[in-house]
Amino acid sequence: MVDGFRPADLQEALEFRARHPSIPIAGGTDLMVQKARGFGLKPDFNKPLLFIGHLRKLRQISVRDGNIHIGAGVLLSELIINDKISEALKMAVRQMASPPSRNLATIGGNICNASPAGDTLPYLYAVDAKLILKSVSSERIIHIGKFITDPKQNTLEHDELLTEIIIPNKIFNVSYYKKVGQRKGMSLTKASFQGLADIKNSNVLDIRIAFGSVAPIIVRSREIEASIIGKPVSEINAAVPEILKKYATLIRPIDDARSSAAYRKRVSLRLLEDFLSKLS
Amino acid sequence: MKNCISKPINRVDAPAKISGKAKYIGDIHFENQLFAKTVRSARAKAKIVSIKTPTLPDDYYIIDKNDIPGINRMRTVVSDHPIFAEDEVNYIGQPILLVVGPEREKIYEIVSQIKIKYKDEAAIYNLEEAEVKKAVFTEYSYSKGEPKATFQHAERIIEDEYRTGRQEHIYLEPQGITGDYKDGCMYIYGSLQCPFYIEGAIQDVLGWDSDRIRIIQSTTGGAFGGKEEFPSLMACQVAVASIKTKRPVKMIYDRDEDIICSTKRHPSIVRYKAGLNKNNEVVALDIDIKFDAGAYSELSPVVLQRGMFSATGVYNFPNLKVRGRNFMTNNVPSGAFRGFGAPQTIFSTEMLMHNIAVKLGTNPLDYKIRHLLKRGYPTCTSGKIRDEVKLPEIIEKVEKMSWYRRKIGKHKKFKGVGLSLFLHGCGFTGKGEATIKGKIILKKNGDTVTLKVSSVEMGQGAETCLRKIVAHTLSLPMKKVICETIDTGLIPNSGPTVASRTIMIVGGLLRQASLELKDRWNDANEIEISKTYKHPDFLSWDDDKFEGDAYPTYSWGTNVAEIEIDPVTYEIDVKKITAVYDVGVPIDEKTLEGQIQGGIVQGIGWATIEVMNSPKGKLTQHNLTDYKIPTSMDVPEIECEFIENPYEFGPFGAKCAGELPFVGAPPAVAAAVSNAMSVPIRNIPITPEYLMELDKHED
Amino acid sequence: MKIEFVLNDKKQVIQVDPASRLLDILRDDFELTSVKEGCGEGECGACVVLMDDKAVNSCLIPVGNIEGRHIVTMESFRKTERYKVIEESFLEAGSVQCGFCTPGIVMSTESLLRENPKPGDNEIRDALSGNLCRCTGYNMIIKGVKLAATRGKGLW
Ligand SMILES: Cc1cc2nc3c(=O)[nH]c(=O)nc-3n(C[C@H](O)[C@H](O)[C@H](O)COP(=O)(O)OP(=O)(O)OC[C@H]3O[C@@H](n4cnc5c(N)ncnc54)[C@H](O)[C@@H]3O)c2cc1C
Ligand code: FES
Ligand code: FES
Repeated sequence: MVDGFRPADLQEALEFRARHPSIPIAGGTDLMVQKARGFGLKPDFNKPLLFIGHLRKLRQISVRDGNIHIGAGVLLSELIINDKISEALKMAVRQMASPPSRNLATIGGNICNASPAGDTLPYLYAVDAKLILKSVSSERIIHIGKFITDPKQNTLEHDELLTEIIIPNKIFNVSYYKKVGQRKGMSLTKASFQGLADIKNSNVLDIRIAFGSVAPIIVRSREIEASIIGKPVSEINAAVPEILKKYATLIRPIDDARSSAAYRKRVSLRLLEDFLSKLS
Repeated sequence: MKNCISKPINRVDAPAKISGKAKYIGDIHFENQLFAKTVRSARAKAKIVSIKTPTLPDDYYIIDKNDIPGINRMRTVVSDHPIFAEDEVNYIGQPILLVVGPEREKIYEIVSQIKIKYKDEAAIYNLEEAEVKKAVFTEYSYSKGEPKATFQHAERIIEDEYRTGRQEHIYLEPQGITGDYKDGCMYIYGSLQCPFYIEGAIQDVLGWDSDRIRIIQSTTGGAFGGKEEFPSLMACQVAVASIKTKRPVKMIYDRDEDIICSTKRHPSIVRYKAGLNKNNEVVALDIDIKFDAGAYSELSPVVLQRGMFSATGVYNFPNLKVRGRNFMTNNVPSGAFRGFGAPQTIFSTEMLMHNIAVKLGTNPLDYKIRHLLKRGYPTCTSGKIRDEVKLPEIIEKVEKMSWYRRKIGKHKKFKGVGLSLFLHGCGFTGKGEATIKGKIILKKNGDTVTLKVSSVEMGQGAETCLRKIVAHTLSLPMKKVICETIDTGLIPNSGPTVASRTIMIVGGLLRQASLELKDRWNDANEIEISKTYKHPDFLSWDDDKFEGDAYPTYSWGTNVAEIEIDPVTYEIDVKKITAVYDVGVPIDEKTLEGQIQGGIVQGIGWATIEVMNSPKGKLTQHNLTDYKIPTSMDVPEIECEFIENPYEFGPFGAKCAGELPFVGAPPAVAAAVSNAMSVPIRNIPITPEYLMELDKHED
Repeated sequence: MKIEFVLNDKKQVIQVDPASRLLDILRDDFELTSVKEGCGEGECGACVVLMDDKAVNSCLIPVGNIEGRHIVTMESFRKTERYKVIEESFLEAGSVQCGFCTPGIVMSTESLLRENPKPGDNEIRDALSGNLCRCTGYNMIIKGVKLAATRGKGLW
């Protein structure tokens, strides 16, 4: 009999985590579907569930040292209305799932689920978000790119929980986001693109580019970004073919029920081109 | 002046539905009920070598072909689908047996322990392979005029090919049926469209007379044709199970199962050879229609017939040759779906006309107008267009509402406008109505009138409209006119709830009976009047030659679609649909608008986002995550108007309206996309993937 | 696991496997059949109920998550003044056909109007984007919601 545990606070949750093999469950919007077996049947979990969605400590959004700390249990619907959250992230979250499921789904769940189609991920990769992973005895802070290793794979230890997401204090004055789904309302992502840039005096001071759903993990290349940084915007146009060529080797999508590899690749590069064209 | 019958009233069934009180089959608890789960074929085509089942605990049962006392086939047009597979399976999802018992968890466990050994055989996965292997279920043809000679003298010959995709109904309530064998009688409850189809199917399977069979409809959560023939299969299965277990057996599908095994809209390929005269008018047309019927024929022959008889759309092609073939493939069977074969051929012909016009450099509307049918013209099957064709008025009106001509003149890339013209044959095809001879009963008791029909309410508004026809005729308030429960023990067979026939045919009989009752109102406290359909004498139909009046009359319409395409991603945004229809006289404008809005949106879905592929016989999109239908954010503004054109034999002049709106939207959207991208569109759904490929080829 | 929660204004204590879907508990154990199952994977919205006044998909909720929460279904919401306004408006606008989507849509409407008593067209479309309807094509539902917002001024 698979049962579960509802800790009173984070400490209790971490203690349970340390003692028992368990599955953390926040909103359950990923887990309940992944483990669903059909109408009228209980989802099939092979380990006790650790309910964490209600934990106060995980539900806060705060600013510390200028960085924004988002609790792993913050709901998608809460992100949309919080004024500490950037418009760029809100834009992605508003297009995730549907209003009733956004009242359940958490940002931590989206990250830990580690799907290449996870819609908070391109933004979080682009801004170099860091994650706080806690156990009873330790705490580590790692870059999101080090946390997600493969589709559905992350480096969470059996005794750990994701507690916070840190968004570094950094301002971008250009932001471009596009999610391509099968339809306008509620749709999983076929391909998505997040572009951020800091342009001053017609120079690219910083640029971040991330692609979702077109490779086993989110595609971001510091190397290519570095090759653009420092350039006057007037030179970008000429560099576009070269930039596209470089990203083309990193974008390795698949054919599936929702789209084709060819479309995903072409559209990703077109979105990149569109973003770059808007810089000058 | 608007006809006063058209004035909208509130739907009689809505309050129970809004408040959540209405009971659908899944909401009804049967004392002592057992649940059933179907074990299905995992192979597209195979012999069943062996089936190993575990030892069953008490109260759990396996029901299969050996439990069928009568014929192991589902009765329909072609009764070829086995209730339970015998020694072979022909599609993935074909039912083999049921596991029945009190606990769903336990049933699930038993199902997972059943081991089936197959010996695979060469399967046919699509229309191309089926044509090579000559796997034809049905082939029909008809012709008119002198096609051969006209082609020989044609100034110009254009050949083209069009394709449409598979579509799933996605009625929001999945299929569900309960069978209850009690006191020597079989009671079937469920979500269904055609109670007497089920009665017939049960008769075959049990070998019983109809007096021991009762089919009772529960509130039905949408159907669109998907609950026309399919529930018969489920009903036969649970009937047999209930006899074996002596308890009520309830079978409710979950969404995945429903999508995997229920019928779909026929995928199609339509090939044309058009002969043009020196004025560039199409004077000869050769149409070759291919439908993927899936693994069993079932009612595909009549779907194909409607497809063939609608294939010339609203046009008069004096010389015509039409061939239609249903192919056997090892895909899930295709079946009834709103429009019934007509949407495929109307789409193709509309796009053919559009594409020829564009190629000739003329305005598609002007080009189409040169070919329109008129009163007195022969139909494609050499019948006669007897009633006035108000297409000129329809076109004028839509033009005023949408400024179509002005917009198409100001062409901008990625922005487009498209127009479709279409019709729908009212009622059953050919001799259908004459054979069925629908019957209705009207019963007066004091100041209340009960109408007894087998036409069901499934969302389309039948109950409201039929009651309204009677109430209006007798000048009674709606609440004094009630519908008898849909229970085959209590109602006469007025035919199935299909083919947009409910208002025109069944409503027509009710109108006649009401007029008679009105005359006799004061004769007695209790009066019963029954009416049986009589096919008008002037209609003739030869079912062997496909000659004569395929339909008694037609409803007509036009749609103008305005769309925008995202220049980066090729996503289509349908901005607006303007629609004008002639459905005779609307019985209720609000209910009718509901049919129009819903039908158009379903049509847009089919034309744009609803992708359902079946490589190697296995559906790639088998849940609502992958198979997408439009949401509230995907639908355009829809403006619609009517042109009144009373039909002599319809109640208050009404004709058909339920399927018509679906038919018009796809070609209008496709024409708009073609206009926006300056490419001919030949296939739907028009996905961004397909558009990107087209754009690549064109530039 | 023992779960305490409020269901339609009544406190309930149940002993259940916390992984059970709220949807099944409501339909099977409490016989609240206004809550429908159309997909079981969060896609259709037929199962939407209110949790602390907000629309949620009951098929996605493990009951372990409802401890201390207030769940409302149509069975109690239909007794309210606000419901009456929604019912009248839906009737008048022709927002209902087969009705299988309707209870879920009424719940999403209530959730929207509580947050935003004067929603614009796009806000309504967004709020209902998790409720599929195959019959109506939505526009007549949107009209119904707008009508309810106007008529029920002051109620939300
Ligand atoms: C209908 C529908 C539509 C959807 N649409 C989208 C969409 O458009 N875009 C998108 O990106 N996603 C979408 N999703 C997926 C899902 O809603 C999101 O990924 C959501 O953010 C998951 O959050 P949750 O709290 O519900 O996760 P849960 O299901 O509770 O958990 C997901 C995973 O994360 C783990 N986990 C959760 N929290 C923690 C933690 N604090 N520490 C450690 N591990 C943890 C769980 O063990 C589990 O493995 C959709 C889902 C549904 C049902
Ligand atoms: S049943 Fe819950 S969203 Fe469909
Ligand atoms: S009314 Fe039928 S699904 Fe909405």
